[in-house]
Amino acid sequence: MRELKNLAKRLLEEGTVKVVIGYEEGPVGVRPVFVTRPADAEKLVFNSRCVQNLAAYLSRRRGHIARLGKSAIVVKGCDARAVAGLIRESQLKREDVVVIGMRCGGVALRPSDEGPLTPETVADRCSGCESREPKLADHLLGELPPAPPKATRMFELMAQIERMPVAERFRFWAEQFERCMRCNACREVCPMCFCERCIQDKSQPQWIETSPHARGNLSWHFTHAMHLAGRCSSCDECQRACPAGLPLGLLNRKMAEIVRNRFEYQVSDDSTVPSPIGAFKQQDPQEFIK
Amino acid sequence: MTFSISDSGLNALVDEVIASGTTVIAPALVKLSAGERREYQKIGSAQKMALTGAIVSNSLKPFIMPPSVPLFRYTRAKAAVSLEPATGKAQAAVVIGAQACDIAALEIVDRVMDWDYHDEVWFERRKATTVISLACTQADASCFCTAVGSGPDHPRGSDIQLLRKKGGYLARALTESGKAFCSKYGSHFEKAGDDADRDPLIKETREKVETNLKIDLGAIRSFLTRNFEHELWNDFGLRCHGCGACAFACPTCHCFDIVDEPEGITHGVRRRNWDTCQTAKFTVHASGHNPRKDQNSRIRQRVMHKFQIYPERFGDVLCTGCGRCVRVCAGGMNLLEILKVLDKSAEAKS
Ligand code: SF4
Ligand code: SF4
Ligand code: SF4
Ligand code: SF4
Ligand code: SF4
Repeated sequence: MRELKNLAKRLLEEGTVKVVIGYEEGPVGVRPVFVTRPADAEKLVFNSRCVQNLAAYLSRRRGHIARLGKSAIVVKGCDARAVAGLIRESQLKREDVVVIGMRCGGVALRPSDEGPLTPETVADRCSGCESREPKLADHLLGELPPAPPKATRMFELMAQIERMPVAERFRFWAEQFERCMRCNACREVCPMCFCERCIQDKSQPQWIETSPHARGNLSWHFTHAMHLAGRCSSCDECQRACPAGLPLGLLNRKMAEIVRNRFEYQVSDDSTVPSPIGAFKQQDPQEFIK
Repeated sequence: MTFSISDSGLNALVDEVIASGTTVIAPALVKLSAGERREYQKIGSAQKMALTGAIVSNSLKPFIMPPSVPLFRYTRAKAAVSLEPATGKAQAAVVIGAQACDIAALEIVDRVMDWDYHDEVWFERRKATTVISLACTQADASCFCTAVGSGPDHPRGSDIQLLRKKGGYLARALTESGKAFCSKYGSHFEKAGDDADRDPLIKETREKVETNLKIDLGAIRSFLTRNFEHELWNDFGLRCHGCGACAFACPTCHCFDIVDEPEGITHGVRRRNWDTCQTAKFTVHASGHNPRKDQNSRIRQRVMHKFQIYPERFGDVLCTGCGRCVRVCAGGMNLLEILKVLDKSAEAKS
């Protein structure tokens, strides 16, 4: 952690960056912090409660962060996938951000979860994580901690849903969507939802009804999942932010699985590999075109 | 008028109310893949009630002002448009076991809904609902009801207030409708309970919340009136995503959007949906100009509305200290912290 504080301090003192986007201990759990003065680099922490994917703050929609000037950002391996996504999709130039990669031993479900990680408290995405050492990093800090414990609940639930007959599966999702109030927190916290004007906000014509009723909710969640297919960084921030507790991670994981099987593509922190939605390949499966 | 009611008496009462066809809304346990939580829900049996546990995750707002309400249906025939009401009459409902912060909110929002016009959608459900609160014994680090004029055992907004005691509850009938309810279901109540029997945990909870936050609301209000352009607003909203989860979870936020939804070429529905000042879209003009250009200015609006604009008009604040905005925030925004900063700045200025 000394390493992190010293580096942030140096970057700010040298004027390499104007702000370091990192984590601090907040009143209830770890939270994002925006360090602009070298002395405040002391606030920075990195531990298993650094749950948030800070890449969302790099998106163009965050004008109030961009105004602070060039930024450095603290990322875990999974977060680096989102930073790479922004670069891949021309939202950010690689040279416009200094990436501080942290070797990672996994994080908890919530930023206020104290204590060692257990299969109950560890975040779902950490199970079997292969990116605990971000490659997209200008500075790579820390020693590689042991691998996090495995949480199985998400996989079990996915398998359970896959076994359901279609009608039952539809009922499962209809019941989940029924809880949705359409606050759009799932969209706003998402680093990859960077459109200046979301299709959901278009009213002439209105593609997606904004009302939280069965029709509106189905079209929103369907569209959201489709628009994130092959782009989602699997940070689960949408699920964590949802005040109604919708299991949005399930949808995103399923989409990721389909994209992996159909297009042999997995979202990584290598921004030079184009995503299926941004590239055409002759051998892309197209048996549905008849 | 104070009665007492045993645990089994309360269960029998609830089941009788349900059997009579009245909707009963109470905290119940829900299992989600995100974990277990207590939520106000329409319950089908007293067995479903979960009167203690962590702070209830939703507020009562959805039951009085649903996230989406159809206002009327329209049909067009050539140049003529005909309208018909979209909803029937509000069903009689009883809320049982509500927290002080949630029922206080109902009275606070009443004032807005009866200010420049009388909001029928709100008052129709409001009047059909009898509110039985339960003095709170489960405050956490985000609660600050005592700092905004309420408290775990504050009766504001209750028709009947329950206070835990050994083996049951003290029941204080506080309004005419509360008294009428107690006499209608009189067989379940025993006469006068002794106030000294109340669970000491109620007092301890109050003391705990009091240590969470102490502020001078009057000083904050006058500071806000004079400091719309203060530099502290420049970075209040940095970590805020503008996601609106805080406003949707909040029992006192009440903004809405009106939409027309065609259901065919000639007919459709006008609906009223929840909305929030935390999103960019809330204030964007047709020209594309947005007077609240970033998240800092939107957070300022939220704080101003709750602690300056509403108080200016109605006296107290548009916040019951329930702490939900803190609990749901993915960005780690914390209203207690913001209020502390404002309180300190107000003190320094005076
Ligand atoms: S997914 Fe991997 S990189 Fe991300 S927090 Fe978990 S272990 Fe760390
Ligand atoms: S965050 Fe949850 S409640 Fe809000 S729109 Fe998304 S799914 Fe619906
Ligand atoms: S859709 Fe959800 S999991 Fe995927 S990048 Fe967005 S916030 Fe993260
Ligand atoms: S304060 Fe938190 S919950 Fe509210 S809009 Fe901002 S990020 Fe969302
Ligand atoms: S502003 Fe926050 S603490 Fe106040 S009533 Fe709303 S959700 Fe509760």
